Amino acid sequence: MTETIIFYMLTAVILLSALGVVLLPGLMHSALCLGLCLAGVAGIFASLGSDFVFAAQILVYVGGIAVLILFVVLLAGSASDKIVRQVNDQWLPSLLICAAFFWAFLKITGYFSGIPAAAAPSPSVRAIAALMLGDYAVPFELISVVLLASMTGAVLFGRRKAQ
Amino acid sequence: MTLSYYLALSGLLFTIGLFGVLTRRNVIGILMSIELMLNAANINFVAFNRFLYPGQYAGQLNAIFIITLAAAEVVVGLALVMAIYKNIKSVYVEDYNILKG
Repeated sequence: MTETIIFYMLTAVILLSALGVVLLPGLMHSALCLGLCLAGVAGIFASLGSDFVFAAQILVYVGGIAVLILFVVLLAGSASDKIVRQVNDQWLPSLLICAAFFWAFLKITGYFSGIPAAAAPSPSVRAIAALMLGDYAVPFELISVVLLASMTGAVLFGRRKAQ
Repeated sequence: MTLSYYLALSGLLFTIGLFGVLTRRNVIGILMSIELMLNAANINFVAFNRFLYPGQYAGQLNAIFIITLAAAEVVVGLALVMAIYKNIKSVYVEDYNILKG
């Protein structure tokens, strides 16, 4: 019972703040809604019993990406953004495409209806560490190379041109 | 709580993000909508791991990889946005036509 109540509360937070991200005209409000939505997704991870993903979501998404997007909104905004229209003319075809996608998702969801949770969740940090340094060692190292490359690229794009 | 509730939630979140990608004019808004879509995929990974493969952790590990790749993606994307903004002083995607010959 408690799990159901928590799920519906988190769902309401996630979906309303996601609609705020997409529909609010002010980009600052959108970025704040994005932070709230990511925190709600972290709550879903916690209710699914995956503690390490929950911590990583809070650290990387809420603490890193949302703040980074907020900084870029502050740097790249201008006063005219409040009066300029923020959506394009294609909202009706977009709505139809989204309706088609959602219909397909609902059909797929029907195949998985009625599968209950098998057991109570257990702490997963130790098992994930064993996987990261065992079977998944090569993807783990590749991810660190990708992070290093993206960091170098960001520094390269962000620096001032040499005179 | 069964698996289908979580799948429906992630489907709705993905659809909202897709709508944002298709209708936003602001490039930072498009990046934020892409983050929503990545989060929907992460919910799917963790939910399938919890309900279909209890005792195994590859789904959660994939979610962590996706979080890391999303961080890399948003860093490079925002650096590109700032580099373009320094040149043409606009964040609206209709103005991004400097590659046109």
